[in-house]
Amino acid sequence: MNIKEIKELIEAVSQNGITDLEIERSGVKVRIRKEGPPVVVSPAPASPTYAYSTGYPPATLSSEAATGGSPSTSRPHPKEEENLFVVRSPIVGTFYRAPNPETEPFVKVGDTVEHGRVLCIIEAMKLMNEIEAEASGEIIGIYVENGEPVEFGQALFGIRPAGGKV
Amino acid sequence: MEAWNLDGMGRRAARLSTAPRFHPAVLVFVARLRRLSSLQPMFKKILVANRGEIALRVICACKELGIKTVAIFSDADRNSLHVRFADEAVCIGPSKSVDSYLKIPAVISAAEITNVDAVHPGYGFLSENAYFAEVCEACHIKFIGPPANVIRLMGDKAKAIAAMAKTGLPVLPGSNGVVGTAEEAQRVAADIGFPVIVKASAGGGGRGMRIVRSSDDLAKALATAQHEAEQAFGLSDVYIERYVERPRHIEFQVMGDNYGRVIHFGERECSIQRRHQKLLEESPSVALTAESRSRIGERVEAALSSIGYSNAGTVEFLMDDQGKFYFMEMNTRIQVEHPVTEMVTGVDLVKLQILIAGGSRLRFEDHLKPRGHAVECRINAEDPFTHVPSPGKITSFNVPGGIGVRVDTAAHTECVISPHYDSLIAKLIAHANTRPEAIRKMERALEMFVIEGIKTTIPLHQKIMRDPDFAAGRFDTKFMERYQR
Repeated sequence: MNIKEIKELIEAVSQNGITDLEIERSGVKVRIRKEGPPVVVSPAPASPTYAYSTGYPPATLSSEAATGGSPSTSRPHPKEEENLFVVRSPIVGTFYRAPNPETEPFVKVGDTVEHGRVLCIIEAMKLMNEIEAEASGEIIGIYVENGEPVEFGQALFGIRPAGGKV
Repeated sequence: MEAWNLDGMGRRAARLSTAPRFHPAVLVFVARLRRLSSLQPMFKKILVANRGEIALRVICACKELGIKTVAIFSDADRNSLHVRFADEAVCIGPSKSVDSYLKIPAVISAAEITNVDAVHPGYGFLSENAYFAEVCEACHIKFIGPPANVIRLMGDKAKAIAAMAKTGLPVLPGSNGVVGTAEEAQRVAADIGFPVIVKASAGGGGRGMRIVRSSDDLAKALATAQHEAEQAFGLSDVYIERYVERPRHIEFQVMGDNYGRVIHFGERECSIQRRHQKLLEESPSVALTAESRSRIGERVEAALSSIGYSNAGTVEFLMDDQGKFYFMEMNTRIQVEHPVTEMVTGVDLVKLQILIAGGSRLRFEDHLKPRGHAVECRINAEDPFTHVPSPGKITSFNVPGGIGVRVDTAAHTECVISPHYDSLIAKLIAHANTRPEAIRKMERALEMFVIEGIKTTIPLHQKIMRDPDFAAGRFDTKFMERYQR
C-alpha cells in the first residue's frame, strides 16, 4: 500500500461520512478514524398509511423529532394523553430555551407555569419572538432541543393543565 | 475543505489544497475554470416557494440537475405530492395563502433554517413580488428570476408600457402613462378615439379594467376605476388605451442570462379565454408567419436586453384584425402554459431558469424554429359550463399517455382539491407534427383522462376541440362567448 492509496482512502473516509475504516492488505494494516460527533443512521420513520418506497416521507422537521433523531439523546414526544395541552410553534424559525446563551432556560420540566408565561424564544429572520404559554399547569415535556429549527405547528411543550382540564 | 465540495472541479481543488503548498495562482486558475463551465448548476439546495403542479415541476427540474429540494407547505397541503417528492419539507403556516405561501417571513425563515442557496418562486404567490426578491437577496439567498427593479417596473403596468414604448416596441395608442384627471382622460380619448379602456396600473391579468364607449361616460368611469384600483390593488393609478374589440392574445416566451443576452423561444396563442382567464394555449400561432415571428421576436429581444432583463419572462401582445401587434404587459416569471413552448422547442425552461440563476450563459445559436404543434388544456376543478368551483376528493384519477402526450399535475387518486387555492388540477398537453394532428391527439387524450369525484373542465375542452372555428384557427378573445349560458 503506497502513499497515494492511503491518501485516496483518507479522502474516501472524509467525503462519505465514514468515521472508522480499517484495511489490511499484504501484511500492512491501516486504520483511519475521523473525529467528530457520532453519525447515527436512524431508520426511515414507519408510516403505516403509505406503502411506498423508504424515501418517504421526506425529512420534515417534526417527523424527525417524533422518531428521535439519535438514540443517545432520548427525545420525548407528546404522548396520547387526555389532559395534555401541547404548545405548538406559531412560526418557522430556530428554537431557543433561554433569552441568551449565558442565562438559564425560561422553563424546565416540572415547572409550574401560568397562562402568558414566556416559555421559549423562536428566532426568525433575526427577530426574537417570545412564545407564551396558552394554558396554566405543569411542564411535563419539552419536545425540541435548544438551537433546533422548528416548523409551523411543531410540538414544543406539553403542559398538564392545572385542575386536570385542558 | 467543505467549501469546495461542489462538483468535479471542486473535488480536484480540494485534493490540491491537501497537498504540500501550491502557488496561489494555481488555486485561482482552478476557481476561474469552475466559473466558465457553462452548464454546471451552482446551487446545492433550492427551496420551492409554491405548491401544486408548479412546485412539482420545479422539483422535477432540480432532481434532474442533481439539486436538493426543500418544499414548503401549509396545513392543507401536508400530504401533497410536492411535499412527498422533495428532499426536505417545512410546514410554514395554516391553510390560508396569506398566512402561508404569501407570508414572506415564514418562507424566508424556512429557507434560512434549511440552508438553501436559492429560492424558485414558481408562478403566482410571491413570484412577481419585488420586495420578496429583495428580501431574498438581502438574506444571501438567490431569487430565481429577474432583478427586483425589473420585476417592480413590469409590475406597474402603466410604467411598463411607457418603458417598452421608449425601447421602440409598438404599444396601443393611449395615455402612455398614468392619467390623473378627467380633463387628461378626455384629451387622451379625443386623441385616440373611442372606444377606450381604463386600466389599473397595479392590476394585470384582466383585473381592474373598464371599457368606455363615449365621452359622456368617461369621467365617471375614470373615478370608479381609480376607486376600485385603490381598493383591490392598493394603488389608484390608472391608464387609458384604445380598446381593441376582437383581439388575439399572443405572447412571446423570453429568457435572458446574467450577461446581457436575451433570446426568445417563439410565441404562444392564448386567445381562448373566459373572463380573461386562459383555458387553452397553443404554439405556434396560426396567425403568425415565420417572418412576423422573427421580426417581433428580435424587437422583443432588443427591448428587454436594453432594460437589463434576465431569467424567464413572457411578453404579452394584442394583435388586432389588421395583424398589428401592441405590447400589453409583461410577466416576469415562468408561466402556467410554459409546456407548449417546451414541447415545440425541446427546451426545459425551468432547468434553464435554474442554470441561468446559477450563472450559466445562454448558448443557443439560432432562434429555435418550432417543431410541430402543441396544445395545452387547463383542467380545472369547476363545472365545465357554469364555472362554479368544484372542490372535493378525487376518487378516481387516470392520466392519459402515449406519444406526444404530457400531463403536468400534482393530483392523484384520493387527493383533496382544496377550496383555499386555485382550481387547476392538471395541464394536459398534446404535441404532434401538425395542428390538426395535435387537436386529434388532444381529443383522444381528453377522452382517456379519468377524473371522478369532482367536476372538471374536460367536457368543455372536448367541445372546443370539436368546434369548426377552433379547428380552422378562426378565433379571438371573444371565442368563449359562444358557450356562455
